[in-house]
Amino acid sequence: MSAPPLGPRLGGRILGAVLAGALILASPRISFAQVAANELARQTLGLPYWHVFIAYAVVWLLIAGWVISIARRLSEIEKRLGKD
Amino acid sequence: MKSHVATEAAGGGIRWLGGGMSMLGLALMILLHWEVFFWVNTESTMGVVQRIFYVHVPAAWVGVYLAFGIVALCSAVYLWLGDERADMAAVAAAEGGMVFTTIVLLTGPLWGKIAWGTYWTWDPRLTSTLLLWFIYLGYFIVRGSTDNSERGRRFSAVVGIVGALDLPLIHLSVTWFRSLHPQPVVLKPEKPTLDPDMLMTLMTGLLAFTALFLGLIVFRYGLERSRWNLELRTRRTGAA
Amino acid sequence: MKLYLAQLWAVAWKDLMVECRSRERVGAMAGFTVLVGVLFNYAIDPTLVRPEDIASGLVWLTIVFAGTLGLGRTFELEAQDGAFQGVLMTPAPRDALFLGKVLSNYVILLVVVFIVLGVFGLFFSLDWGSSPATLVGALALGALGFVAVGTLFSAVSSGTAMGGALLPIILFPLLVPVVIYGTSATGQLLADRPFAEVDGQIRILGAFALVALAVGAVLFRYVVEE
Repeated sequence: MSAPPLGPRLGGRILGAVLAGALILASPRISFAQVAANELARQTLGLPYWHVFIAYAVVWLLIAGWVISIARRLSEIEKRLGKD
Repeated sequence: MKSHVATEAAGGGIRWLGGGMSMLGLALMILLHWEVFFWVNTESTMGVVQRIFYVHVPAAWVGVYLAFGIVALCSAVYLWLGDERADMAAVAAAEGGMVFTTIVLLTGPLWGKIAWGTYWTWDPRLTSTLLLWFIYLGYFIVRGSTDNSERGRRFSAVVGIVGALDLPLIHLSVTWFRSLHPQPVVLKPEKPTLDPDMLMTLMTGLLAFTALFLGLIVFRYGLERSRWNLELRTRRTGAA
Repeated sequence: MKLYLAQLWAVAWKDLMVECRSRERVGAMAGFTVLVGVLFNYAIDPTLVRPEDIASGLVWLTIVFAGTLGLGRTFELEAQDGAFQGVLMTPAPRDALFLGKVLSNYVILLVVVFIVLGVFGLFFSLDWGSSPATLVGALALGALGFVAVGTLFSAVSSGTAMGGALLPIILFPLLVPVVIYGTSATGQLLADRPFAEVDGQIRILGAFALVALAVGAVLFRYVVEE
């Protein structure tokens, strides 16, 4: 939390490191070579991030979908109410 | 049944109340995301996937307890007093409840795949929530498939009340069933004692979801009221 | 009280009389039961699964499916030419009307329960345990709760455009307690377990039936109100 504000180049480097890390984690051959301790790390770091992101995306998508559907129905009804 | 003509003047109140609550909920949601992704500690046995818990539990509180409580209460009030406003509140809460129950049903398996090793298990809470989702579904099908909208309101209120009375018994029976037939569980984590950071994050989630839900159902209530006004107007012009 | 029972009985008697003359619902349910027994015979490989082990599940599911078939038509006949309006115009209170309907449905379903027990006993050469009376008692209590909820929701579904197709969707989620405690009690009785072990489950079936009857009697007036 106490890290200084990241410059644009540092941010790009971190992104690159994350992508490289993802590649390494996704490569089954490298994971196979890892020892048991790293096996646990792969299990809890590789796949679960996707599960967390999908879960939070589901929350936003469903709530946004509901808001949009309320807004559309409301505007349609208001239009019909205002017509006469 | 008596009909209460909702006045147009109350429209501003709905906009303020719903907008304020929704904005509060949205702000808390953003705070929740900051806490979940940058602040709270990773749980030691389950790892990052435990972070799903901070939206799963609040969604369950809102969708299962709060929303269905409102549905049952307002349905009973509607049948008893015949006040249309109670039915509007019930249908608003039911729709929100269905959205949040869907969130529970989708996020639960995503967590369960990592923590339990399987997407679906006949866990009592998961099973009860699925059945509740079907009760909500029945509520809306019954409401939608009547040609007489007043009858649809009464029917859906009956479904809501019977569902609310049956739900504790459903939960009791599926829990009992599970104790009878132990489930094959790959990895069952012990119930962790929440540390203060996690409790704080969970509380933020509960507040955020509650505020967002209440704000949005106020808008949904407004929609139902406008629909009612439209129906009254067409009925009046049809009679004239 | 005496008048109330008379009104209740009048409704039930009328329905049972119609059923005795037409044999429409009992016939459909009985045919359904026999054919389900035949289908189960081919769906379940007896060399892999012993029919005794899954008998309680088969019996309960057949009762629920056959029952839903028959319950869905509770108000069908009277809806056809507005005859139900006439029934509603009688001075009988709505709850007496509901309980009368439940009674006639219950008698019909009990006939089906006995057909299920007979057919499955015959087809899968099951023996019904050492205390068949307790077994029938458990089935009858579970069936009462099922009929009470089913009659209420049959009135709901026949008032919608979807009709009988809607009934399973709104009824089955609510039947989970009946199916769980019913199959468990039946299974244990079939396995000759002592009554003390199933006592609690049978009590819960009874409690479900009582609550369902009371709630149905209260809510029925809002379903048929016009």
